[in-house]
Amino acid sequence: MIQDLLTNKKYLFASGANTELRAQRNMNRRAVLLNGALVGNVRTEQFGVSARVYENGVYGFSSTAEYTDETVKDVLKAASENAAFLAKHAGKGKGPHKAMAPNRIVTAYDLTDVEQRTYIEFAQALDNYIAGKYPDLVSRTVVVMGDSMEKLLCVSNGCDGHSILPRSYIYVMMTAMGADGKPVELYKVVGGGYGTFDQNYSKPEDCFDEIDGLYDRIQQKAKDGVYPDAGNKTVILGGILSGMLAHEAVGHTVEADLVIGGSVAGPCLHKRVGSDLVNLVDYAHTAFGKPTPLPIYVDDEGTAATDAVLIRDGILVGYMNSRESAERFSMAPTGNARAFLFSDEPLIRMRNTAVLPGTSKLEDMIASIDDGYYLLDTNNGQADTTGEFMFGVTFGYEIKKGKLARPLLDTTISGVAFDMLKTVDMISDEMIWASSGMCGKKQPMPVGMGGPAIKCRVTIGGR
Amino acid sequence: MIETLKKTAQAAVAALQDAGADKTQANVSYTVTHEFNVDGGEFSLFRTLFDKQLAMTAIEGGKKGTVAQNRYDEKTIAESAKACLEAAASAQPDENWDFAPVSQNEDFVLGQVKPDTDRLFFRCQELMASVKERFPKIIMEQMIVAHKEICKAQANSYGVLFSTHEGCYEVQLMFSGHDGDKASSFFGSGVIADSLDRPFLEMGSLAEDLENVQKQIETTGVSGKFEGTMVVMPGCLGSLFYSLLSDFAGEGGLLSGTSPWKDKLGEKVADERITISLAPLDERIVCGNRTTGEGFRAEDFDIIQNGKLNAFYLGLYASNKLKLPRGKNDSFNVIVAPGDKPIADIIASIDKGILVGRFSGGQPASNGDFSGVAKNSFLIENGKIGRALSETMVSGNMADMLNRLRAISTEQVADGMTVLPYMAFDGITISGK
Repeated sequence: MIQDLLTNKKYLFASGANTELRAQRNMNRRAVLLNGALVGNVRTEQFGVSARVYENGVYGFSSTAEYTDETVKDVLKAASENAAFLAKHAGKGKGPHKAMAPNRIVTAYDLTDVEQRTYIEFAQALDNYIAGKYPDLVSRTVVVMGDSMEKLLCVSNGCDGHSILPRSYIYVMMTAMGADGKPVELYKVVGGGYGTFDQNYSKPEDCFDEIDGLYDRIQQKAKDGVYPDAGNKTVILGGILSGMLAHEAVGHTVEADLVIGGSVAGPCLHKRVGSDLVNLVDYAHTAFGKPTPLPIYVDDEGTAATDAVLIRDGILVGYMNSRESAERFSMAPTGNARAFLFSDEPLIRMRNTAVLPGTSKLEDMIASIDDGYYLLDTNNGQADTTGEFMFGVTFGYEIKKGKLARPLLDTTISGVAFDMLKTVDMISDEMIWASSGMCGKKQPMPVGMGGPAIKCRVTIGGR
Repeated sequence: MIETLKKTAQAAVAALQDAGADKTQANVSYTVTHEFNVDGGEFSLFRTLFDKQLAMTAIEGGKKGTVAQNRYDEKTIAESAKACLEAAASAQPDENWDFAPVSQNEDFVLGQVKPDTDRLFFRCQELMASVKERFPKIIMEQMIVAHKEICKAQANSYGVLFSTHEGCYEVQLMFSGHDGDKASSFFGSGVIADSLDRPFLEMGSLAEDLENVQKQIETTGVSGKFEGTMVVMPGCLGSLFYSLLSDFAGEGGLLSGTSPWKDKLGEKVADERITISLAPLDERIVCGNRTTGEGFRAEDFDIIQNGKLNAFYLGLYASNKLKLPRGKNDSFNVIVAPGDKPIADIIASIDKGILVGRFSGGQPASNGDFSGVAKNSFLIENGKIGRALSETMVSGNMADMLNRLRAISTEQVADGMTVLPYMAFDGITISGK
């Protein structure tokens, strides 16, 4: 665990300014097998310390890869000088952030640093299984990885903290030859989530059912896949896609820094943005009585993390904030300011963003559609600050007369979030979480996202 | 600093050999960043970063392992050498792993190695003021302007020893147009420069991008579906070609066997007017890589030359495994040769089509099929650029597209990373709601 060289430097914090010191270690272990060849075998670590100082409405920041008593003092001095430079030339006449009760939240513990051999052997076992059982595949890739982020935080105003966020996942990608002679692809995250690799995976055999399921889907797609008819259609978005909707199309527009930058959510606060059925929350550490996929207890500004309720019964009721933006919007900060590396400054980021489940049964939702689509898997999602979104869809089915019909080839769906959410007329009572990806916004960041199946209207690309 | 890094890289190579590796490589760097940030149209942050990186790779009996971290003291090097050999020991042997043989070692100095911070801040203030004056409907969601000084050294067990000391200025803008409650899509634009002699707004396509976005506040969709011409703006072409070259000419598509070009080296794959180069040494590229990650001296090369597939974009491992020539650099400094018509003439020749500034699409399939939303785009009708579009999708196939070239513009945009013209492709499916 990171040694505390920070707390005894509090005497150096300038009065009248907000100061944060953060020591951080990011680790990543990864093995990649492509058609049986080990093309990736890497262990990386990034460790260092940073300081951020808020003065006269602007921030100064500095970081270094050395972590000693002297370098902690050095980054603090450099951050203070940077804040002073910017305050002199572009200060906003603001005082320090509102005072918060001091506290210290510790969730860090000693992690097992799983040996590289374990990752490689696990990947080889899965690859051998796929190669032996499914020799007709054009290509197969197995990625086995674990990463973690340990942060020691010391602030002049608010919560100090010591946290750790380990994740581990297995990704399996398959390519099969389609009926038209063109390759088709699918990938799946097999198991995994919060925790080290040895906590999440015990033996390769436990993954075989999910791998078989992936092969079954790619065979359906390769043999019988069809392109959907382009146009505005009634669809059911499965939980993976509704989670992506919650994150990409709604979540980013209600990050307060993007609201200040002109996102569509600015003029929509306290207005209807979805049907009565739609509720959306960015959870901190607990949801539905269980830990969230990636629990956050304190953010990197020293704010104790609480849930950010964003849409309630179809009305936009809040944003995700830093301490500075919360003051601007007269909202309570909820602990969304997060940094990826020691050398990154905290930005407003999502944590575990989800559409809340409803009361409908999935089978009833399918039965209610005469001509539409059930969309299940995605490989990509992008959205605009206008709320216009685009998701790649890699697997799904036609729905004809209330029943699932032919599987789909790759397509794209698009829409405008706050228009599309108003068309939601059924939401299933079960939800799916995902946490294997990285959100990109100046810095990458691990995030959780989730949702139930939702019935709505979107534009589907066809071909 | 450079001499220290060279010695550190050699020490890391020696440590790996002492630990028992047959072939070894080390890359060491020290980076100092000075960065100003603007958020929501106001200065928000000034940061200075001091970072180190050490990557050590060992090949032992054909087994390869890599360990990377941001420290390079003696103890870390010794521990990393051990960890690297342990990682390699678990791998299966593959005789295709290797590093570059020794050639002529060299010390490179590129760009503006030290920042002029006061002048950099002045250029930032000037840019903000100019945008406010010339493009009053633009909100600068984020502006990041930085100088990066990078000292790096690379050594391997064959005797390769390169160093580079480089510095450049980077500008990244994210902005949107606003009029009351109406807003355009956001747009990102950037440049890399090796001097502060000119205002940022005169560089790359920043001014044109800001002007276009200001025209995109009022948008409408297209009705139905039609086949037309897609004119891709230079800023959008880079991301499209990145997908194309990675999937068709890169290691992923070739090692997996899914690339449609896997058997087409030397054959025609595109219209004969198309030449696509990767050229980090071109004078319009700022601080392009002088060496590859595997220790080769970088050289410019054409991937597509007058429509023929001239080379693949392969590293040494993939080259050895596939028995194909390796790519002569590992940059993505794409240069597309200019055409023979001004963009105005190309637009004037199009009856119905779309001018695309940004493509928001799913990952193109390995067979080249793509489908996505045309963002920051305009309708082209009867030879004229018309209204700005929203909720408009474009789809097609990248391999087909290269053979349906209508024209390439004489104009090119150089942003320090790429040099790209406008390109017009026929036969693209364009659809609305």
